[in-house]
Amino acid sequence: MAGSYRLINYALRPAKAIERRMLCAAFDRLYPFQRVQKYRYLGLGSIYFSDFQLIHRELGITDMLSIEKDVSAKACFRFNRPYRCIRLKFAHSADVLPAINWSRRTIVWLDYDDRLSTGILADIATVCLRASSGSLLVITVNAQPDQEPIQEDRDAYQGQTGKDFDLAEYRLHIARELLGENLPAGTTGADLRGQEFAGVFRDIINNVIAEQVSVRNTALTPDEKILYEQLFHFRYKDGAQMLTVGGILYHANEEEKFKACGFDTLAFVRNGKEPCSIKAPCLTPKEVRYLNSQLPHRPSRKLRARGVPDGDVERYAEVYRYFPAFSEVLFS
Amino acid sequence: MPTSTEGRADQTRINASPTKEFFIYMLTRDIPLTRAILDLVDNSVDGARRLRQNGNYNGLWVRIEVSPDQFRIADNCGGISVDTARDYAFRFGRTNETITTPGSMGQFGVGMKRTFFRLGRHFVVRSTTIHSRFTVDEDVDAWLAASDTPDKWHFTFRELDTALRVKEKDTGTIIEIGQLLPNVKETFALENFRSRLAEELSHAHALTLNRELAITLDGLPIRHDPQELFVSTILKPAYIDKTYTSQVLIGHPGPRVRVKLYAGISERSLHDGGWYIFCNGRLILRADQTHTTVWGERHQMRVYHPDFAYFRGYAYFDSDDGALLPWTTTKTGVDADSPTYKAVQLEMIEMTKPVLNFLSNLAKERSATEGPRPLENAVASARAMQVQTVTRPCVFVAPPPAPVPTGPRMQKIQFSKPAAEVEKAKQILKVRSFTAVGEKTFEYFMRYEGGEKE
Repeated sequence: MAGSYRLINYALRPAKAIERRMLCAAFDRLYPFQRVQKYRYLGLGSIYFSDFQLIHRELGITDMLSIEKDVSAKACFRFNRPYRCIRLKFAHSADVLPAINWSRRTIVWLDYDDRLSTGILADIATVCLRASSGSLLVITVNAQPDQEPIQEDRDAYQGQTGKDFDLAEYRLHIARELLGENLPAGTTGADLRGQEFAGVFRDIINNVIAEQVSVRNTALTPDEKILYEQLFHFRYKDGAQMLTVGGILYHANEEEKFKACGFDTLAFVRNGKEPCSIKAPCLTPKEVRYLNSQLPHRPSRKLRARGVPDGDVERYAEVYRYFPAFSEVLFS
Repeated sequence: MPTSTEGRADQTRINASPTKEFFIYMLTRDIPLTRAILDLVDNSVDGARRLRQNGNYNGLWVRIEVSPDQFRIADNCGGISVDTARDYAFRFGRTNETITTPGSMGQFGVGMKRTFFRLGRHFVVRSTTIHSRFTVDEDVDAWLAASDTPDKWHFTFRELDTALRVKEKDTGTIIEIGQLLPNVKETFALENFRSRLAEELSHAHALTLNRELAITLDGLPIRHDPQELFVSTILKPAYIDKTYTSQVLIGHPGPRVRVKLYAGISERSLHDGGWYIFCNGRLILRADQTHTTVWGERHQMRVYHPDFAYFRGYAYFDSDDGALLPWTTTKTGVDADSPTYKAVQLEMIEMTKPVLNFLSNLAKERSATEGPRPLENAVASARAMQVQTVTRPCVFVAPPPAPVPTGPRMQKIQFSKPAAEVEKAKQILKVRSFTAVGEKTFEYFMRYEGGEKE
């Protein structure tokens, strides 16, 4: 059993950092549609602007828009903006997304902290209806199932529904409140625990995208019809269980361009229900350098690092190209 | 200029015969896709009703399969006899001679054909009863192309066996609709459509599902939420059971209409609050919050409001003669002009009033900052019970609101101040709530400036 030092560094969110780099590597593949620098990047703000920093530095994108719902912290966000090319929009995403000009190919990363809800689905619907061919849509939501609630909440549930408390029914009740009729037919409380919960969210997101694209297509010629292909399905846990789903929207007559992107050659791309689970092993800088010196490796050759569990070594080998380096820096 | 009698008849005769196009293109516009499918399920349920007069459908099933290539519904509910198929089932509309199942959901002789045309251009019906078996296999375009003269309005049995002996468990009907219309194809590919259809099936056939008819959609069992109301020793829903004779309703003798009405409190839900109306076991109006039932000035009632999200009313209309019931052909709403409905609507309004009074008082009780909460406690301590368990007519029972506290008339004050200052005041006053901050500062002011200083 590994000590707690082999667990997660909550402050640094390493899995999130790996996901960010993987996504960035996928964004880099969009060139058959147009030069990646000419894309627009649209994200939900955070005072760290980590995604904006990475994408500007790695891909050279300059048309960047950050949507920030915390209207009261304008000054703080303006101060922390890392590059001048990032435009800040202080409003709710539901207000901004329908109002922007979508003629430009866009990479949209709706990186929410909240759980999936009808409001988030409405944002997804807007993007699916408006985004131009060659645009990417990525959605991140919290997919942590409800734990056994405290007695007070159990009593409230009993008073509200007139029924005895039951964890499965309680979870279903909450999910209905969040998602209404978007909850797939036949969903039971048992589907809303552990990893299944994230699976239900992923299905709901895909169903909404499929329906929205279908509605959009009713008024389009066969050539112009929009297709959606899922590319991303990440799950990770730097604290709460998180889910990222996403894919590309393109015209039927641009299928060749989509194929030329070669997304399927990226090891972390997932087209279906099976997720790519990101687990970031906790390694010292010296261990990282030592393992790097053996990578990339042939499958026949076993990687070694003294004192590091085999599982962690294997996990590191899967993500090493995207592994963040954290170190303490003293500014003077 | 003399004309023959026959010639004159031709000149004065005006063509009013129906066209096939009317049925294929016009009638289909009135019905949403999900509802068209429910119409076929209604036929299966009617089969179950014929087969099991006692109303227990355990062992009977209806299986629906939806794919972009084909729609299929199969049941083991007794099948359609050859005679019924030949003379009635495929006709457009009903005649006076049509033999109907007492208390049936199929009522207008339009559902099945309309669904065929709404979904696709090719249909196959295979049905087996204990005595016979037949197959009808028709291409809609070919049928349409075969002119409109009355002798070309028929379909043809592809296979026909009579004088068979089939076990009851092997009887049933299979309907397959192919060459789906492009928009239908597209819709059937969507998972969200499937969910919506499942939801509508579970609502529309909640009563039938309660009688253990097993309905599945692509193998997934359709579950239902039974109609429930909160019941306790101090909180009871209202229940009325009434019978209307055909003589009173339409002026000539015939089957009666039985109506059961329930009104009370259930789980608070803005979306689900309102009136529910069933005709012969089929839900035709769900959570109505409009003047179609009881709400709004038209009925001298308040409009639906979040305070009323606890309200549920259930109206069950049953009759052996479905024509007396207030449904429309699409079964998506009530026929508000039906004499039966007009009579019952007044009862519904009267039953709703005391429940809304209770809910208004509950809202008042909640907005008061303190005082006893008898109404809230009554709601919280009640249990959800299926409405069918209420069998004795009764009025709505609920505790009275807490008496208005005696003493001087009180006035509420509300204001905002910077949070930091309020927090500071809280510490100085050594109190825990903002309400207390307000009261203490006001009392302090009144003591020194209000002339209350001794």
